[in-house]
Amino acid sequence: MVGGYIPFGMQEALEILAGGGCVPYAGGTDLMVKESAADTRYVFLHRIRDLKCITVDAEYFICGACCTYTELLRSRHTPAILKEAISQIAAPAIRNTATIGGNVANASPKADAALILMVTDALVRLQSKRGVRIVPIKELYLGRGVADILPDELISEFWVPLSRARLPYFYEKVGARKALAISRVSFAGIADVSGGRVNHVATAFGAVEDVIVRREEIDGMLTGLSVAEAQALKGEYLAAYDAAIKPIRGRVSAEYRKAVCGNLLGAFFDSHIK
Amino acid sequence: MNGQIKFILNGKDVVYAGSAAARLLDVLRDEYGLTGVKCGCKEGECGACAVLLNGQLVNSCMVAMGFVDGSIVLTIEGYKETARFAALDKAFAETAAVQCGYCIPGMVLAAEAVLAENPHPDEATIRSGLSGNLCRCTGYNAIVKAVQAAAEEGAGLW
Ligand SMILES: Cc1cc2nc3c(=O)[nH]c(=O)nc-3n(C[C@H](O)[C@H](O)[C@H](O)COP(=O)(O)OP(=O)(O)OC[C@H]3O[C@@H](n4cnc5c(N)ncnc54)[C@H](O)[C@@H]3O)c2cc1C
Ligand code: FES
Ligand code: FES
Repeated sequence: MVGGYIPFGMQEALEILAGGGCVPYAGGTDLMVKESAADTRYVFLHRIRDLKCITVDAEYFICGACCTYTELLRSRHTPAILKEAISQIAAPAIRNTATIGGNVANASPKADAALILMVTDALVRLQSKRGVRIVPIKELYLGRGVADILPDELISEFWVPLSRARLPYFYEKVGARKALAISRVSFAGIADVSGGRVNHVATAFGAVEDVIVRREEIDGMLTGLSVAEAQALKGEYLAAYDAAIKPIRGRVSAEYRKAVCGNLLGAFFDSHIK
Repeated sequence: MNGQIKFILNGKDVVYAGSAAARLLDVLRDEYGLTGVKCGCKEGECGACAVLLNGQLVNSCMVAMGFVDGSIVLTIEGYKETARFAALDKAFAETAAVQCGYCIPGMVLAAEAVLAENPHPDEATIRSGLSGNLCRCTGYNAIVKAVQAAAEEGAGLW
């Protein structure tokens, strides 16, 4: 077939990719916006059932890379924080085809589903003819639009720790337009506060730097503290992020982005560290 | 290695022998002469090119032909033959929901997708279901009213 292959199973897809010169096609909503070369050959992934699972085990929410946003919104297993972010992505026609795997593989700092996988410290399962790799999502991002996915590899699944995915969360997307907004600044925070102690805090900022921002060392300032101690540290915590975040210049000025980040972080802190 | 791309287009079996990387929008218009499928942006932003793929609303400018293999595609030309279309058509006319008409094929298919999922949608559900379909003329209120009217008058169809 001119222009691509339509494998029925994972092994067949991995064989084709191992041969070189092909681009994985999931939902196409990032690929089709770019002008493709005349000799582009796609490997269409939509027939591969292994890439469509949505389930939970004792520890993880597990979803296949080719689950569409519509499928994830419909599943009772999908964590609320992920549903919230997905429900604000684009409009129904896009959500019906766009996949979570495409969102991550595209490696855009604006990717909204990827932001949730970052804040929950999800694991990415990559598969090739050579074998399987499991990588923390943070390590997958090498730069703007560059993910550590080799040409013969496919993302097969995401594993989201339930201990993170089910924590109280804060999610906000400050966008230009309501529907179809490629977010200008997005923020997700989760916090585990119980028995007067801060057990875990994680935050992620989208569309600010070249890759989604996730700074465990700054969030770690609060871990293990009593709520009172953490509240006393609020100024220092916000200042640490203010110093760390280096917004890229874009349509919206760097200063504006930074101010929005600070406001979102403050709002998360006030509503969840208590 | 696979052969040609086979799918069902407006109820008929078709075989497409061109490139799997071609855009469904271009193929529908240029190969099959289905010019009710409009091109507004080719960036997934406007919904003028919307069709139903296996009953789900998709923007045909965002779909490569390989993705269509084995699927059922319905464009406004095929949908026109249904009683549901007649109900929407009447409602759009009676509420004066059409001006230039460019957005309407996509809008009607988006309305079908909303009503197929929820035969008695509230206004917010309709607006969110149509949120990817832009209309430069009407300001949307008449269109939303038309979908409400179709839901009421076409009761039992969805
Ligand atoms: C109008 C419009 C609005 C949008 N709004 C938003 C928004 O609000 N938020 C947002 O985050 N995004 C948005 N997007 C971007 C896009 O829809 C998402 O990033 C989507 O999740 C991409 O998934 P896909 O399946 O369509 O990817 P594709 O286009 O199929 O693929 C994207 C990239 O990932 C690679 N790839 C895909 N699957 C795999 C895999 N399993 N393994 C390895 N590589 C793979 C492809 O080769 C390609 O390089 C929007 C896009 C459009 C057109
Ligand atoms: S032409 Fe396809 S969405 Fe605008
Ligand atoms: S009627 Fe003109 S664009 Fe909608």
